[in-house]
Amino acid sequence: MASSKIQELKKQRQLSNKRKKNQVIYGVVCIFIVVLIYLFLLKNNFIYSFIWKIGLLIGFTLQKSRFCFTASFRDPIMVGSTSILKAIIIAFIISTIGFAFIQYISTGGNFNIRIEDIPGQIDPVGVHTILGAILFGVGMVIAGGCASGTLMRIGEGFILQMVVLCGFIIGTLLGGNHFEFWDKLLIRNSPTIYIPHYIGFPLSVFLQIVVLIALYYVADWYDKKNNIMMTM
Amino acid sequence: MSQQRIDCMYEACPIPLLKALKKLKTMKVGEVLIMETDHSCSITNVVEWAKKQGHEVDYVEISDGEWEIYIEKKQ
Repeated sequence: MASSKIQELKKQRQLSNKRKKNQVIYGVVCIFIVVLIYLFLLKNNFIYSFIWKIGLLIGFTLQKSRFCFTASFRDPIMVGSTSILKAIIIAFIISTIGFAFIQYISTGGNFNIRIEDIPGQIDPVGVHTILGAILFGVGMVIAGGCASGTLMRIGEGFILQMVVLCGFIIGTLLGGNHFEFWDKLLIRNSPTIYIPHYIGFPLSVFLQIVVLIALYYVADWYDKKNNIMMTM
Repeated sequence: MSQQRIDCMYEACPIPLLKALKKLKTMKVGEVLIMETDHSCSITNVVEWAKKQGHEVDYVEISDGEWEIYIEKKQ
């Protein structure tokens, strides 16, 4: 419950509110276009229609929850708050369990097949991973959003992110263009590590969940410890 | 009743929070800071931070996609 001073200010402000524009018509037009695109995709490319549906649901969830991947990694350092980071760790636990099922079913329990045949993003790991992570991290904190956050905020009407989107497109094109150079220089020579090949599938899933739960508790402890603003 | 106002329109995260932080430092206990913002994320961001610091906080939507956040300095 906010204090009386704030209540009073709020009341004053609500009385002098500008009349909001009625946005129902825009909403109806948008839903109409979305359904049209869906029907078009359904007729021409079933997989795309499925991706379209999932994309819409993810976008809706992101906007309504004001979820921000950038904040999840920035806030622990900047203001010592880890509530979004904890949400991400929980999401990781859920997707670990989900992917365990997907990988188990699609490989039929036989994991001695080629890594390329296992579903999921199992890619070579090396110096390029660290380099890319640092670049992406610096970029998203300066831009005020990662890829999904930027797109969500443009949809919301936050115009500044349009500039970010331009940079995002230029960067993606350059990256796509120069991928072969990096592939030859670093990526191809790096090993692809799939932990179940070393310690078995059940144990690696179990270990990953245990590590994530441990990280959750570390994040929780860090949040409580940093109750007072530390920087500045 | 004294209050201070800062304009955080068109600023992306985390600028509104940093601006509020700097302003709050110069303010006395009991004063109210009014922030104007159009960044929906800074609501979660600022409100959560202010609560954690023990300040009184609330917000209101003043126009489509524009909010005012009220923070009363408590310590």
